[in-house]
Amino acid sequence: MKAPILESRHVTHRFGGQAALKNISFSIEKGEVVGVIGRSGAGKSTLLRFLCALETPEEGQILLDGIDLTKQPENRLIEIRRHIGLVFQHFNLLTSRTVASNIALPLQIAGRPRREQQERVNELLELVGLAGFGEKYPSQLSGGQKQRVGIARALAANPTLLLCDEATSALDPESTTSILNLLTDINRKLGLTIIIITHEMDVVRRFARRILALDHGKLIEDGTLIDFLSDGGQKKTLQPLLADIRPKLPNDVAQQMCETDSPGAAIIMRVVHSGEGVMPPFFGALAQRFTLDAALLQGGVTTISGQPVGDMIVSLRGERRDEAVEFVKELVKSMEVLGYVPHHP
Amino acid sequence: MSPIILNVILHATLQTLEMVFASTAFSVLVGLPLAVFMIVTGPNGLYRLPIIGRLVGIIVDALRAIPFIILLVVLIPVTRFIAGTSLGTEAAIVPLSIAGIPYFARLAEVSLREVDMGLVDAVKAMGGTRLTIIRSVLIPEALPSLIGSLTVTLITMVSASAMAGAIGAGGLGDLAIRYGYQRFNTTVMMDVVIVLIIMVFIIQMVGNSLTRWLRH
Ligand SMILES: Nc1ncnc2c1ncn2[C@@H]1O[C@H](COP(=O)(O)OP(=O)(O)OP(=O)(O)O)[C@@H](O)[C@H]1O
Ligand SMILES: [Mg+2]
Repeated sequence: MKAPILESRHVTHRFGGQAALKNISFSIEKGEVVGVIGRSGAGKSTLLRFLCALETPEEGQILLDGIDLTKQPENRLIEIRRHIGLVFQHFNLLTSRTVASNIALPLQIAGRPRREQQERVNELLELVGLAGFGEKYPSQLSGGQKQRVGIARALAANPTLLLCDEATSALDPESTTSILNLLTDINRKLGLTIIIITHEMDVVRRFARRILALDHGKLIEDGTLIDFLSDGGQKKTLQPLLADIRPKLPNDVAQQMCETDSPGAAIIMRVVHSGEGVMPPFFGALAQRFTLDAALLQGGVTTISGQPVGDMIVSLRGERRDEAVEFVKELVKSMEVLGYVPHHP
Repeated sequence: MSPIILNVILHATLQTLEMVFASTAFSVLVGLPLAVFMIVTGPNGLYRLPIIGRLVGIIVDALRAIPFIILLVVLIPVTRFIAGTSLGTEAAIVPLSIAGIPYFARLAEVSLREVDMGLVDAVKAMGGTRLTIIRSVLIPEALPSLIGSLTVTLITMVSASAMAGAIGAGGLGDLAIRYGYQRFNTTVMMDVVIVLIIMVFIIQMVGNSLTRWLRH
């Protein structure tokens, strides 16, 4: 196994007796794109401030490239921070400086020669699609453009790690898409390790290959979104976060649905499938093989971190319904029975 | 208006300008570092020295509590020590500056406090030293607001310098009292008041446009 670039070992922190993070352990490899998700107050920003060496946790260790950040003196930390790029929700651009001079600031801090600063700034403006914007002031830019400047600034000193705290939460959907595309591009082109913190499952769905879920200061989940979707609703704490991006049961069906089966009832199931043949041709196949009444109530195929995933709610009714359920179970990644709609002749 | 009176008013105006600008210059020179000091030593500041920080705050407030007219008198020995005399325009610069320093320091402190802490975090996260943060975040970001504080201080110094006339500092205030109050020459007094009003207007106008220009 490769050595991890970033590692959190048993990190615990309290604010005035109130635990904000409890025993957080994970490790991230070079080039990974990781989403950290959790509800408001879950401890995401607190964790991020430890990861970028702005603050030190009370207990536990943060290792960046094998160096324990919690044990370094302030002057070493100043040096270490120069290798971590940080992108903020509210951009945090200096209003007193032009775009170019904002992007140049990390280079200036690192004491690079002026010529090099200029070249790098032009390169970055090009990369984030803002060529020609160098002499503007942040107040003259849109939110999406400001965030591009924020990303360019974070990349200026060639960081080994890019951390984004709610980088898209202040943006409209269109800018969000373009910023996420930009970050994906950067990951692909530069092989940069990116951690993005968000409370929006949709951002993670489109961007991150791996997800860390925080809840009340605890790391409750570490895996891929596909894993979460297909665990059949076992992880109750994740459901509210997942609800945003999952197909919802139509209201009329929800009203008629009951928990117990009855003769002639339709079975309502949530079906998740990924990989080969995302949308197994089961509607046609089912109807033919089992002479069933099969319907897609909600959902379809979505893209999760570049991979097509089918997430849908289906209804099956007919004589050989149970055989069909068995057949579907074999075919798909996961299946969860939501309930039954009784038959009304 | 007789040329003599005009000349007297012109001379007094120059004296007032000298007092106002010199004492404001000292106020900024000493007051701004004091304000930065109070900010960076405060709670969540860059340097954690709460005790000295608090002490400086107390001294600043104590100085501000003393009415200027009393400060003028109390400071006579200090003035004599620094300026060599306790009379005249140059001498008045000493008490004016001593009143102006804490005044500007508190105003500047408010301006600096308004700087978004997120910006401090951003530059800290880039590996900026505390000095870098002060130099490239706190002061430049607060600059438009600091210019506002400077404008207010200049105008306060205009009226304070008029009071300093009472201890023979010269200037417009002195002129107004000698001609207008003691010799009942209301024309001169009115002229002086008009000059003061124009002076304040110009300072405010320049200050405002400078602030607006700096705000991009
Ligand atoms: N400086 C602080 N002092 C005291 N308590 C704090 C401080 N920072 C965070 N907390 C507390 O720690 C908990 C976690 O906060 P944190 O900001 O990490 O949450 P978050 O997951 O980022 O939430 P959000 O999505 O709202 O940004 C919260 O209960 C918060 O009140
Ligand atoms: Mg947060």
